[in-house]
Amino acid sequence: MAIRIALAGNPNSGKTTLFNDLTGANAYVGNWPGVTVEKKEGRMKKQNDVILTDLPGIYSLSPYTPEEIVARNYLLEQSPDAILNIVDGTNLERNLYLTTQLLETGIPMVIAVNMMDVVRKNGDSINIAELGSRLGCKVIEISALKGEGTFAAAQAAVSAAKSGKKALPPKFSDKVESCISQIESSFGNMLPQSFGRWYAVKLFERDEKALEKLNPSGELRSRTEKQITDCEREMDDDSESIITNERYEFIAKTLRGCYKKKNAGGETVSDKIDRVVTNRILALPIFALVMFLVYKISIGTIGDWTVGFMNDTLFGEWIVPAATSGLEDLGCASWLVGLIADGIIGGVGAVLGFVPQLLILFLMLSILEDIGYMARVAFIMDRIFRRFGLSGKSFIPMLVSSGCGVPGIMASRTIEQERDRRMTIMTTCFVPCGAKMPIVGLIAGALFGGSAWVAVSAYFIGVAAVVVSGIILKKTKPFTGEPAPFVMELPAYHAPTAVNILRATWERGWSFIKRAGTVIVAASIVIWVLNSLTFEGGLHYIGEGDEKSLLNAIGEVIAVVFKPLGFGNWQAAVATVLGLVAKEEVVGTFGSLTSMANADLAMELVEAGDSSKLTLIGQEIFGGSGLAAYSFMIFNLLCAPCFAAMGAIKREMNNSKWTFAAIGYMCGFAYIVSLIVYRLGMLFTEGSFTVSTAAAFIAVAALIWLLVRRPSKSVKVKSAAGVTADA
Amino acid sequence: MMPLLFAKVGEEQTIKRVTGSPDVKKHLGDMGFTVGERISVLSAAGENMIVSIKGARVAINGGTARRIIV
Repeated sequence: MAIRIALAGNPNSGKTTLFNDLTGANAYVGNWPGVTVEKKEGRMKKQNDVILTDLPGIYSLSPYTPEEIVARNYLLEQSPDAILNIVDGTNLERNLYLTTQLLETGIPMVIAVNMMDVVRKNGDSINIAELGSRLGCKVIEISALKGEGTFAAAQAAVSAAKSGKKALPPKFSDKVESCISQIESSFGNMLPQSFGRWYAVKLFERDEKALEKLNPSGELRSRTEKQITDCEREMDDDSESIITNERYEFIAKTLRGCYKKKNAGGETVSDKIDRVVTNRILALPIFALVMFLVYKISIGTIGDWTVGFMNDTLFGEWIVPAATSGLEDLGCASWLVGLIADGIIGGVGAVLGFVPQLLILFLMLSILEDIGYMARVAFIMDRIFRRFGLSGKSFIPMLVSSGCGVPGIMASRTIEQERDRRMTIMTTCFVPCGAKMPIVGLIAGALFGGSAWVAVSAYFIGVAAVVVSGIILKKTKPFTGEPAPFVMELPAYHAPTAVNILRATWERGWSFIKRAGTVIVAASIVIWVLNSLTFEGGLHYIGEGDEKSLLNAIGEVIAVVFKPLGFGNWQAAVATVLGLVAKEEVVGTFGSLTSMANADLAMELVEAGDSSKLTLIGQEIFGGSGLAAYSFMIFNLLCAPCFAAMGAIKREMNNSKWTFAAIGYMCGFAYIVSLIVYRLGMLFTEGSFTVSTAAAFIAVAALIWLLVRRPSKSVKVKSAAGVTADA
Repeated sequence: MMPLLFAKVGEEQTIKRVTGSPDVKKHLGDMGFTVGERISVLSAAGENMIVSIKGARVAINGGTARRIIV
């Protein structure tokens, strides 16, 4: 039987560094069931029978954030053989708070005091032996970054697991202890055997999850409630605060005499940096400069060059032609060559083309994260984002989305509050991504003489869509309620470490390749099949022929829906559908479906900004109507993103109802905005008034109402203990 | 007694009370905001502030700063 050891600790305590050091490259990254928090598991180096689980970084085991719930469920339900609790030696008092809760689970435990090198450098001293005897478990000094003492700590955890010696819970004051033991005895056998003390403390705190699980009878419930209220009256505080204070008191008592800080309260280097970086006046300009550089390097210069190389040269000139001729030499049927070379390799290539650019972007973001600047960004942006119902932590997903929505959606993971995270996922794709820019270029070139204002307005529409959606959604039932208090520990700044940065970059990049790759392959095949088959004269393959493909037929049906928006022809409908595979497809589709009859030429013309030849598309598709073309652009910018991004939404929402809600909302919002713009535009320019114009007016009224109405009432949380919570 | 929101930058204060729903109070307690704790404002930008509590820098917004009475 393998020995399972859980790594637990505060965020930024060096947990992941320790985990990586102990497991080497053996890490397996999975997802915790039910919530979007990544779970990492790995076998220990040189000791294959030891499995380490990296629990999410948490401050407490109270079920407040998804991370806390995940960690708590793991400990109680999977009960690992031992816990290796990593604490930051530079801030023992705060870190030991979680330790007091971990000790209560009774699971054999070892404490690794990390960053001992920094502790010594600061001239602080910790009496490790004394600390261990007071906490009743083995304490080991380590420096995860330098790899000092890490294996000794792991070995200690292994022997603790083998011995099965239960951890001792911290002792509280007599009054509280007597109340907890009363609860313990009155619940008796109802408490899960090995977690008796844990549950007794949680019942004292009126923890809803614990009550739900134990589900005591009405009589027992009210008896317990009375014991708790008696204790509360005696101590003049509520039970949760009592326990919180008892924990801090226990820590203070434990540390007395065995932890000495040399210069407590002095200003550190981090404080000095923060004074500048989070300064009232300088914060935003500094932040804008940093983001400009990140963007310029990853999306602009280097990124642009790599995307061009990957798409045009690597796939366009080398792999696809080589695969085509190779398959032809093998004597494959022409439809099979088409499917593999154009359908699958071409489709996958379109996604892989973004990988180098994304890796550069991820690399830069990882550096900012590693040195500690990202935490400050969330703080700086919170002031602005709070106004329209989003959190400061939504900024990074939005910024990343302007490059590509897939990693943008993935970046929303750092937002603890489920409500805020869902809202970020629903709105982040409104920010025009790199792949949508060719559409903007096409419309600008084809009908507006290449005016730069079209691109500017596209960004403006994207940002406005985020703001408006934030305000509207915040007032709907699932999103109402007290805004979560913004409380975030700011880690000390430190020099970036190559290993951490490269690992973080690679992990993000790889999950992009894996996730995007699978969805794209499937979608490419479907679209290729639809585009290559026809019903005319029986179902058969048309190849390069001119017959009407299934896609055309479908396009004609869908086109009806777009009539009110001004682009109800089958070409525009097909382009919109193909845009779901990849937004760049739109331009190529117009190129091949007009008398230009050349997808690549259309792409090149857009890239070169050659509007004189693009007007052909404007004439044939939109009948020369700038308004119809603009409406088409708005719809394609705001509606459901590409399949890769939808796949990412599904993964991050981890709930099909919310996935459909998100995609449905985007499509609905896009439709309404396009309808309003086109119909009101027609009314003012040509004086045309139809049923659709009336619908547009109703839509305007509805939007205004949604924006200014009073928020709906949130569902009141019922306290399971039978006491009403003053929510 | 006043909300932390109005505390001066650099002055050390003692937390007298923490308000809010039990959930929020508990979360703030977990983060170190408990009655009797020493707290000082390191910097403030609008209503958002960075405070020093239990040896760590913690960023809070105006809503949170209103809940903490010093």
